[in-house]
Amino acid sequence: MALRDSLQILVVDDMATSRSLIIMALEEIGIKKIDFSVDGKSALQSLSTRPAHLVISDYNMPEMDGLHLLHALRNGPATKGVGFILVSGRVDQKIISTGKQLGMNNFIQKPFTTPQMKDCIQAVVGPL
Amino acid sequence: MSSSAEIRHTFFQECDDLLEALDDGLCEIDEGVSDQSFDPETVNAVFRAVHSIKGGAAAFGLDELVQFAHQFETVLDSMRSGNLIANEEVLKLCHRAADYLNDLVVAGRDDVDPPKGSSQDLVEKLSGLLPGKLEAKKEENSGAIGDFNFAPAAISIMDDVPGAVSVVSTYVVKFRPHKTLVSSGNDPLLLFRELSELGELKVSADFGGIESLESLEVDECRITWSLEVDTNLSELEIREVFEFVDGMCDLEISKSGPAALGNEQETNLNQLEVDANPRSDAKISSGNDSVGRGKSGSSGGGANATVRVNLELVDRLINMVGELVINQAVLTQCIDDAGVLDNGELSTSLAEFKNLARDIQESVMAIRAQSVKPLFQRMARIVREASELSGKEALFETEGETTEVDKTIIERLVDPLTHMIRNAVDHGLEAPDLRRSAGKLETGKVKLSAAHRSGRVIIEVSDDGSGINREKVFNIAVEKGLIPADSSLKDSEIDNLLFLPGFSTAEKVSNLSGRGVGMDVVRSAIQKLGGRVNIFSKPGAGTTMSISLPLTLAVLDGMVVDVAGQTMVVPITAIVETLRPDPEDIHKLGSENTVVSVRNKLVPVVDLGVVFGHRSSAVSLSEMVLLLVESDDAMSWALAVDQIFDQRQVVIKGLESNYGYVPGVAAATILGDGNIALIIDPEETARRSDKPSESMSILAMEGK
Repeated sequence: MALRDSLQILVVDDMATSRSLIIMALEEIGIKKIDFSVDGKSALQSLSTRPAHLVISDYNMPEMDGLHLLHALRNGPATKGVGFILVSGRVDQKIISTGKQLGMNNFIQKPFTTPQMKDCIQAVVGPL
Repeated sequence: MSSSAEIRHTFFQECDDLLEALDDGLCEIDEGVSDQSFDPETVNAVFRAVHSIKGGAAAFGLDELVQFAHQFETVLDSMRSGNLIANEEVLKLCHRAADYLNDLVVAGRDDVDPPKGSSQDLVEKLSGLLPGKLEAKKEENSGAIGDFNFAPAAISIMDDVPGAVSVVSTYVVKFRPHKTLVSSGNDPLLLFRELSELGELKVSADFGGIESLESLEVDECRITWSLEVDTNLSELEIREVFEFVDGMCDLEISKSGPAALGNEQETNLNQLEVDANPRSDAKISSGNDSVGRGKSGSSGGGANATVRVNLELVDRLINMVGELVINQAVLTQCIDDAGVLDNGELSTSLAEFKNLARDIQESVMAIRAQSVKPLFQRMARIVREASELSGKEALFETEGETTEVDKTIIERLVDPLTHMIRNAVDHGLEAPDLRRSAGKLETGKVKLSAAHRSGRVIIEVSDDGSGINREKVFNIAVEKGLIPADSSLKDSEIDNLLFLPGFSTAEKVSNLSGRGVGMDVVRSAIQKLGGRVNIFSKPGAGTTMSISLPLTLAVLDGMVVDVAGQTMVVPITAIVETLRPDPEDIHKLGSENTVVSVRNKLVPVVDLGVVFGHRSSAVSLSEMVLLLVESDDAMSWALAVDQIFDQRQVVIKGLESNYGYVPGVAAATILGDGNIALIIDPEETARRSDKPSESMSILAMEGK
């Protein structure tokens, strides 16, 4: 059984458009278990009841941005091991280095192609 | 789940929201810009809106939009970080950039070339705002992945689900109410309901305490309960549920170890290994049910509880409800004709049906109703552009932004309102030096307001300019042959000359208003919506243009009348009163005109039968019914009809697509007996009748 069948991914993005684009890419890759949250807070809540292997989160979100979410995840005993990929429209070295310090597993720039997204996920969880 | 086209569609819908948020944010910053008292979070929100538009646009290859958004975003970013101080100049530019961003989004949506013109200038001005080193970099195109040297996550799918919830446990609550619990007004059921919100709840009751019927006290509670709740919350929170019955019950709370979710975790693990086992799958989904519910609640909780619905669906629903209303009328008529309406139960049910149909209709209409705010925001932009082009400073004020109007009406108001607003800035306001010499503030004021008034929507555009130069207007009208030179017109009639086709007062055709589109186009656009437009002007103090519109284009309350054997509908909102005239109140004016005296006021009589050509000359007025109608500018007429049949809600069926605009006829409707009746536009009909009122009615001449 392939990893893509069992991998549980939580997509976090406040914008319906980019959320849908991520989800569409994941579906094209063949990921079966996709869940989504519309902001960092509900992502944390969602993860507390419905765990995931990997979180793919937008950086640019109101109240709690992607890095704050990452920070909160790494500080939660139940979520500190979860994989984390940050999605952002721009490559900002500051964001990336802060992300690295916080334990970000990978980064992908928008817009991305489905193969790029696949590579990005595989770099984190291994061959899908 | 969704095709690329659907996401594209979502993107443009989302853009509308983002652009609105952008506009809102900029306006908010506007207010606090003088003393820098605006909320930094607002700048953040504005930045985010532009950034999100850019992000989506990039995915759909809208390069020009991306480039511009990037430039704009860079400016906002430096404002956010404090490198750029937001002052009025900067904000003005931001507003213009937001306007242009809007244009680009629209161009992207309609797949047309974005408007040229000021874009280059705008980009230059934007980059001029940035301190040299912060100049917007060309977007680095390095989405490559290997470059960053990230650590792969230590996720071992086969072992465990990371972040599994281990904190959910089952609490057993023994709940023994004292005898007084019920009699003091408490209801155990409410407590259980509240408890069930904490997690999966199992309740079992022990009826052992109930005594025999003879000795039973009905207000004493003799039942005890055992409650099992699966939750990740603490015992304290369970105790809180019972806070209000503290002292009125015995409470015993014990933890019975990890809950079913713990097992589920195992199952989950199994599932990861042997996915082919459908049973475990089923188990998961059922076990996850409550969790799933919680999740959807949490993710939906923060967002607005709204749904986006395809407008077509709503329109179809409205149409069907319209048919339902007609059908109800037909049914009522059939039953009436059958002569069984005496049956009390039947007529009650029928009345209920009628009310219900009306309620449904109103609810459906409410779905279509939208606030005029986005429309007003667009007009703010028009003011900005107009004031820039004309060199007149203008302050834009709005009132009643939350007024709700049918969506179609809002859409069709854009063009006429744009024109009116441009006119207000261009013709209404004086040049700054003239204003100064008139003792006014150099910055003119243009105000747009909306309000509900007696079943209609009133939208007003007013300026504090010099008012209409009546002498000039009159002369131009004579010059252009629109009126005879010896006409004697009332002030309000002169003002309304502006609505005549081919009228333009501007001596030099300006870039703004003189586009060959006159106020007559504005008026006909408003009339097509079943509305009216009027001008009121005070010399030196300004001009107000007032649009009165129906709330909806779908139904209206009408008076069903008989006109020379034809059934017609007159909108109730137009009718002030109905009367049967005394013969001595009817006076002939000349050979053709008739007036009726209503409380010492002479009102011209318009025989609908004659106007619509159903009879050649008026019959004895004393046998007819007069409907007194009044226009917004306080003119009144008495419409003569043969009799009044009924007052009812009718469904408006537009005639325009089939017949074009028919003067005097607003629309048609289908009656209960299946016949078609015309809905008349009373004011237009009266004005167009061949019998001019007291003086020369200028509007009566129009189109002749």
